[in-house]
Parts: sequence; C-alpha cells; structure tokens
Amino acid sequence: MKNSTIKKLHNMLLQGEITCVDLTKKYIDEIKKNNESLNAYVLLTEDEALQQASAVDEKIKNGEKIGLLEGIPMTLKDNISTNGIETTCCSKILTGYKPIYDAYVWEKLKNAGAVMLGKTNMDEFAMGSSCETSYFGGAANPHNTDHVAGGSSGGVASAVAGNIAAYGLGSDTGGSIRQPASFCGVVGLKPTYGAVSRYGLIAYASSFDQIGPITKSVEDAAIVFDAISSKDYYDSTCSGAVETCADKLDNDITGVKIGVPKEYYEGLRPDVKNALDNAIEEYKKLGAEIVEFELPILKYALPVYYILACAEASSNLGRYDSIRYGYRTESYNGIHDMMCKTRSEGFGKEVQRRILLGTYVLSSGYYDAYYKKAQNMRGAIVKAFKEAFAKCDVILAPTVPMTAFKKGFSSQNAVETYQTDICTVPVNIAGLPGVSIPCGEDNEGLPIGMQIIGNSFCEAKILNVAYKFEQATDFFKNTEMGVEF
Amino acid sequence: MIDKQEIMDIALLSKLHIDENEIDSLTEEMMNIIKFADTINEYDGEVEEFDNINNLSNVFRNDEVVESYSQSEILKNVDGGENGYFPVKKKV
Amino acid sequence: MKEYELVSGLETHVELSTKTKIFCSCSTEFGGEPNTHCCPICIGLPGTMPRLNKQVVNYAIKAGLATNCTINNIAKMDRKNYCYPDLSKAYQVSQYDKPLCSNGYIQLDSGKKIRILRIHIEEDAGKLVHERGDTFVDYNRGGVPLIEIVTEPDIRSIDEAIEYVEKLQLIMKSIGVSDCKMQEGSLRCDVNVSVKPKDVDTLGTRTEIKNMNSFTFMRQAMEYEFDRQVDLIESGEEVIQETRRFNTGTGETEGMRSKEDAHDYRYFREPDLVTIHTTDEEIEEIRATLPELPDSKKARYIADFGINETDAKILVKYRKVSEFFDAVAEKVNKPKTVSNFIISTIYRTLSTDDEREKFDIKVSSESMTELVKLIEDGKINNNLAKDTLEKMLQNGGKPTDYIDESQMGGVDEGELRAICEKVVLANPKAVEDIKGGKGAAIGALIGGVMKETKGKADAKAAQKIIREIIG
Repeated sequence: MKNSTIKKLHNMLLQGEITCVDLTKKYIDEIKKNNESLNAYVLLTEDEALQQASAVDEKIKNGEKIGLLEGIPMTLKDNISTNGIETTCCSKILTGYKPIYDAYVWEKLKNAGAVMLGKTNMDEFAMGSSCETSYFGGAANPHNTDHVAGGSSGGVASAVAGNIAAYGLGSDTGGSIRQPASFCGVVGLKPTYGAVSRYGLIAYASSFDQIGPITKSVEDAAIVFDAISSKDYYDSTCSGAVETCADKLDNDITGVKIGVPKEYYEGLRPDVKNALDNAIEEYKKLGAEIVEFELPILKYALPVYYILACAEASSNLGRYDSIRYGYRTESYNGIHDMMCKTRSEGFGKEVQRRILLGTYVLSSGYYDAYYKKAQNMRGAIVKAFKEAFAKCDVILAPTVPMTAFKKGFSSQNAVETYQTDICTVPVNIAGLPGVSIPCGEDNEGLPIGMQIIGNSFCEAKILNVAYKFEQATDFFKNTEMGVEF
Repeated sequence: MIDKQEIMDIALLSKLHIDENEIDSLTEEMMNIIKFADTINEYDGEVEEFDNINNLSNVFRNDEVVESYSQSEILKNVDGGENGYFPVKKKV
Repeated sequence: MKEYELVSGLETHVELSTKTKIFCSCSTEFGGEPNTHCCPICIGLPGTMPRLNKQVVNYAIKAGLATNCTINNIAKMDRKNYCYPDLSKAYQVSQYDKPLCSNGYIQLDSGKKIRILRIHIEEDAGKLVHERGDTFVDYNRGGVPLIEIVTEPDIRSIDEAIEYVEKLQLIMKSIGVSDCKMQEGSLRCDVNVSVKPKDVDTLGTRTEIKNMNSFTFMRQAMEYEFDRQVDLIESGEEVIQETRRFNTGTGETEGMRSKEDAHDYRYFREPDLVTIHTTDEEIEEIRATLPELPDSKKARYIADFGINETDAKILVKYRKVSEFFDAVAEKVNKPKTVSNFIISTIYRTLSTDDEREKFDIKVSSESMTELVKLIEDGKINNNLAKDTLEKMLQNGGKPTDYIDESQMGGVDEGELRAICEKVVLANPKAVEDIKGGKGAAIGALIGGVMKETKGKADAKAAQKIIREIIG
C-alpha cells in the first residue's frame, strides 16, 4: 500500500495526530539516516523547514484552515531557483551561487505553505539519464542501491521512493521526470510545454524544459500540478491553458481510445514488453478501446532531440563565465583565458560534450544539415502526433525500454545511454504531457514504468487514465525506508 | 566528419579549453556522437516548418518602470563587487 | 593612377527612448551609479526569461514607416551568440531572418535614394570600464532597446554617408523614438567601406569600421580607410574582409582580428520568446500617429511660406523648434517673419545644439504669435518687435508687458509719406549724396524719419517711400 501520501499527511496534521514540526523533524532525521546511501539530497534546509513548519502549527492551533499542501514536507530539484538558498544544478560551475529571486513554482508552493526540506540531486545541468553526471556523485535507487535512481531528476525520485520527501518538483527536457520516476517506481508527470512557468528553472534546453511533480500517487501528482500550473507574466511561453485535474481523476474511462503506436514497442526488454502487454489487457478490462497505428517518424526522434536540445544548451550555458556568479578558476591570464579555464574546470565532461555538439550543429556550414533539418523534422513530429490524437484520446507507451541501470554504465556508454531516452523524448519534441506510473517489476525487483501521453493541455485526461489503472492494480512497491505512515 | 582542428575551433567558440592529451579521445567521442546525429539525414519524408510549440504570438509587456534591485543585491554573488562594479582582474 | 570610388553601407544603432528596457522593467535612464538599473533578468541570472516591451515594437514599426519600409506581419526574435564580459547571457537577443521592417529608403537632397535593407530590434550590452588592465562591468545599459538600421551599399561618398546619418537622425528625433545623441552613444554607426575603380561595376572587398559616434571621426575614419584600400590595391595587395576600429589618437583604422575574437554568431530562434504578429490594421494605426516628417516640412516651408532653403533646413533640424514655428505660422499672415525671428534673435540665445534641441525658452508660441500680429497690424515696427522679443526671451511674459500704449499704433502710410517728404526737404545734402551714388546716405534720412515718429515707423517702408520721393 502506498504510504505517506499528501492527503494522508494532510489529514494527520488536521486531526492533530502529529504536529508539522514533528513531521518535519521526522523527515529530517530520516534524511540524515538514509542520505549517505541514497545521496538524494545535495543540500538540507533544516532551519527554513522548521520555521515554516512551526508557522503551520500556529495556524492549526488557531483553528485556521490549511491548504492541502500546507505543511507537507517536500523537495526541489537543484535547478529550481530559491532566493538566498544555494542552487547549483549539481555543477561545480555554480557552487556557492545563491539566487536573488524565487522560481515561479517555488513562489507558488511557498505561498501554499510547502515545507522545503532541501534541494535534490540531479545530472549536471539536467544532462544525463542516470544522475551520475552530478558534481556531487549520483543518487542511488532505493529499491537497490547498486542501481541508479535515473536522471536527470534522480534525487527527487530517490527521495520520494525512499520516503524522505512526500513529493518533489523535477524538470523534464527529454525524460528527466518520467525516466527516474519509472526507475524508482513512483509517479512522474511531465506537463504540456507552457502549462507550468519555467521562470527560475535554470535552462538546459528552453523549448523542451518543463517543471513537473514526482509523487507517490497519481492523485498527488494531480494535486501538485493543480497548484503549480497557471499563466505566468514572466514566462512568455507559458499560456497556462490548463484545467484542474484532481477533481477529474475518477471519471469513467469506458470507450476511451488508447493508442499504441507500434514504434514504441520495438526493442523493449522482454520483461518490459510483457508488463506493457499486461497493462493493455488491464485497460481493455477497464472498458478502454485499444487503437493500434504507426508513427514511423519516431525512429528519428532521438537525434532530432539531441541536436536541438544541445544547440539550445550551448547557448544557454554560455553565460557561465564567472563574472556575475559562480565558480572562477584560480589562475589565469586575461579574460578569455579566465572564461575558458573556468568553463573547462567548472563543467563536467558530459556537459562539455553537449556544448560542443550544440555549437557544432549551429555553426556556419553545418547549420542547414543539422539544426535546420532537425527543426523541420520537429515540425513533422508535432504534426504526426496531432494526427495520432485524431485517432485516439491518449497514447500508452513504455517509459524506458529497460529498468534502472547498474551504477557506472552510463559514464562508459554515452551514445548507448542517449538511446535509452527513445521512449521519453518524443513527448518533449512535441510539447505534450506525459505521466509515468509503475506497471510491474523485473526479476531483480526493480520497477518497470509506463507512460500515458496526451494531447496538449490534456493533463486531466492522462491523469484520469493513469489513476484508473493505479486503482485497479497494485504495482506500487514500498521500499521500507524513510518516513512511514 | 569532424576532425581535430574543427574540435579546436568549436571549443574556442564554446570558450572551452581542451587539453592536448584529451584531444584524441574527445575527437573520437565527438565523431561517435555526430555519427548518431547524422542519422537524421537518412530521413527524406515530409518536413514541416516549426515556429514555436503552441504557436503563440504577441506576448508583451507594457512600458512601465518597476524599481530595480539594489546594487548590493545585484552584486551579492561576487562578494559585493568593487566600487559598484563586477570586477575582473586581468591576471591571477 | 586610376580614379577610385568609395562604396559604403551603414549599420546604424539607434537607442530607443522607451522608459524601460527591452526585456525587463528596469529604467533606461542614462547615467546613474553602476549596476543600479539592474534586475535578475538584465544581468542574466540563470533561470530568468525575457518579456518583450510592446513600446519597442511600436517604435521600431514607427521608425520603419518613417523610412518607407515594409512592415513585416510576422517577425521573430533570435539569439546572436558570442561571449564578451559586457553581454550577460553570452548572446544578444536580436532579429535575424525575420526582422520587423524591410526594404525602405531615405532620400538625400540630391534626390538619390539610399536603400534600407532592414530595421530590427535588439538589446544593448553593458559597459566595460578598464583600469590598469583590470576590467569592471556595469550592466545599467544592458538590455536598453536598440533598433539597427542596415542600408544597402548605395553610398558613394563621405558626404553622402554623413548626409544619410544626419537625415536618419532627424527623422528618428522628429518621430520621437530616440534622442539620437551621438555623444551619449544613443546613435552610433558601423561603417562598411570598400573601393572600386570608377568605371567598374563590381564591388571590392569591404571592411567594417565599428562604433563611430561622431561625424568628425566618421569622416576621418572613412577618409583614412578609403586611402588605405586604394594604396593596397595600387600596390597589388589585397583588401582583407575584416572588422576595424578607429583610433581617435592616430586618426587611423586598425584591424581587430584576433584568434580570441573568432566569431560565428550561430543565430537561432530565441526559444524564450514568441512570434510577433502585426496586423495591417495595427500598422495603419501606428502610421496615423506619425508626425509630418522633416523633409516634407522643409518643402512646405519653402513652397508655402517663401522661406529659403537654408532657413527651412535650420527650422526643421530641431523637432521642438519646428513645432514652435508651426504653432505660430498657422496663425499669422507672414510665417517668414517668424522664421526670421527664430533664426536671428532666438537662436542667438541658444548657441549649442543641445540648447536648440531642448528649445527651453521663456517665450510661448502664443506670445510670439501676438508679437508678430502687432507687426502685421502695423502697430509696431520690426525694430521694436526685436527689442521686445529680446526682453521676452530674458524675462518671459507677453509683448504688451514691454510695449506701452504711446509706442503702439504705428504710423499709417499717408502720415509716413508726409514725414518722409518733410525729412527729405530738410536734408538736401544727404539727398545730393544719394543722387551722386552714395546709397548709404539714405540711413541719415531714415534716422530722421524714426526720430520724427519716435521709432514707430517701419524702416523698410520709410526707405521705400524716400526712394520714390527722390526718384
């Protein structure tokens, strides 16, 4: 059974079963106990958390109403800006950097009374699929600490699965919420591009990045999404054209058309394939209609994604020159030398590789063959999905073709690791929403995940379809660590 | 395909310093990655001009002044700066 | 030696006079302590995003309409990537292949059109201060909105280049989108120069001289660069396409090429901003707000008011001056009188360009109108009017504050003729001299008339009558 969900904790606070300060202390104790093995947190904000918690207790004591998220201990991925609190993207180049403003989502949650326990681990600048490119070392998978938590939001997924945060916010550029959620057996929602403000999210690839929740349950994902999604003045690409989700979870899905594009099911590890086949059967039982079709252009989704994301990254990461913030090299001669040395020492290898690739595909002579071509193919992929959603309401696909890698695999196999993103990147290319939920486990007990993908701004629909599956099955597996209620 | 000199040129544009002893392995890695990127050129299906994800237009701001941050806030991440500026010593 | 011709195209950066920066709400005010007009957005803190100032778009469209451009219904923003300490994001947000305006022109006095390829909007960089080799960065200017106006290589002489910039400056000032102060850097030019033999059509290799911010330097730099390129070609060497800077100390241009400056801007769509879509109706709305442009004003002054070319030019040079002139001119019979007063009397109290630009005078257009009307009604003469205007310039007020009743009323023509006849009869010596060819002697007779009328007579009218009497 799922434990420590948002509603459960909320009710405990309401009923006076525990004070918010005690609840927060319990989480902090468990972090201190488990973080050595999980390495989920890179920064603890104990004082701020307890201060916020006692404010919530005060309200409860005074008989004031508290919101669902008020007093619930949570965490933020370390690429979400927090005023006065170090935000590093798990990169040496941003060590010591303290933002002077809050990210939009953090402002929203703070106003909703959230208690932030600390900042969580991630692949450096969100570039990676294992969390191992982090300057602070990778986060471990609570189901088996020899395996990675996934990436890039590995720290959030590890913390939520390890019960040392009730929920967290991650970011998803090519799968960075859904993939670690899948690896850690929790729920990860990547919202529609433009549903949640990116203001304050340290950019990796601006036209792909989206912030979203990693939670214990589909209901929790809906609650958090409802709290953070809205139009934002500071993000011009955020239209906030969303509807609330938590109130539509239990809608009947009889007759809902679930699309299964053939390409998503090729090259899967047999146990993953099997779990997905079972899920399809389950949905038939729930009254959904399965629609099979092809999306041949998906074969090219990965290189299209890497070309465009790295191009944007090469530009987004140009600003780390040590002049206004962040790490500066210890000795240099002249400004050019200072910039080059700072960046070579401050960025890890994977980040440097992606900057180089991005610079290459944008440089004169190569622009047309790579960037422009990929951009036009992006247009074609968007169109292909629009056509697909004329045939079905949602798409069901695996989240990752396998389960969590063994530690060390990714650092040896750059291109092979890129290829594990095959099922997650199409959603980012087309700006669609996708939610990953557990649907099985492999013979080592590592979770298998599947994702429900919807048309733009159809979060309510995909969460509804995911919720029905979650209620009908029991694939959530407790890790038996951390805070248990 | 990309060669050492091109890697050096791209590194210069990216303001990255590449060590002599790294250049060979890096060139090989980059060749692999570019070979992977190159697969898009096998595609000869239809393409579609891409503008922006949700085809948004005309998101503007009115020309109204909001008070700026204080100098000390702005210079907070460079230890308060020097005489109000972001300092960069020529040589350290 | 062959005869060579200069070929030039200009890229002019004009700072727009919006209240706030292009992508954030910080003030654009000039000066101020370093880094006090800044926020997380304009110092490029990680995670910040731009939000486009609508007024920047409106001003750029206005500039485009005033220079005969086509306004593009669809425009977008792009990133121009290069690393420099004054550029807080390591890219400048600008426009690459879809600018707001294209295909316009500015017509020179000769009738020749200098074609404008495009006008796009972009952000300015911060400022670097160098001290003993160390660098200090101030981002107050970072994010101030600019338009860049790019011409075709249509310019064939330095004079044409200067005239083009002067005209551009005048247009931008008159439509109110920029103060175009070169000394403050709110108008600066990158000058492309190449040379070719006069009888050849193909263009030579060009160099680009960066950041000219005065007409004097621009002239010197272009002269130097023309000579340098001709010398290279004459001695069989090649002109290298490069960016050069003008050294104001030596008066020479110098190559800026260095390995570290290797540029490849890698333009691509700015993903943090959305498309700019301007409808034809919106374009027409902006067109309707355009004031009469300087050249058309000048032509009108010459044709309708009989003002000479030189004076007309001076009047339209400063927006506030021509507005003052227009306000008076529409209420009086002879606007030429007004123009004479502005140029001869008012300008004497405003000696610098800056003062004339501000045109901060104590005389309102209403008082000026009243003064001219007094002359036209024959109540006072030009001399008295001039004296009065000088007093008004010093102390403000209206003409009647300085002219008492006894001075007014003037002298009607019959009365004046009688007085003139009297003075002529009383001064036979002077009459002799005039008849003998000493024209200047008429002064004594006019002086006599003025004395008789206590200065109320119109000197010009008196002179005319005296000449008629003498024959």
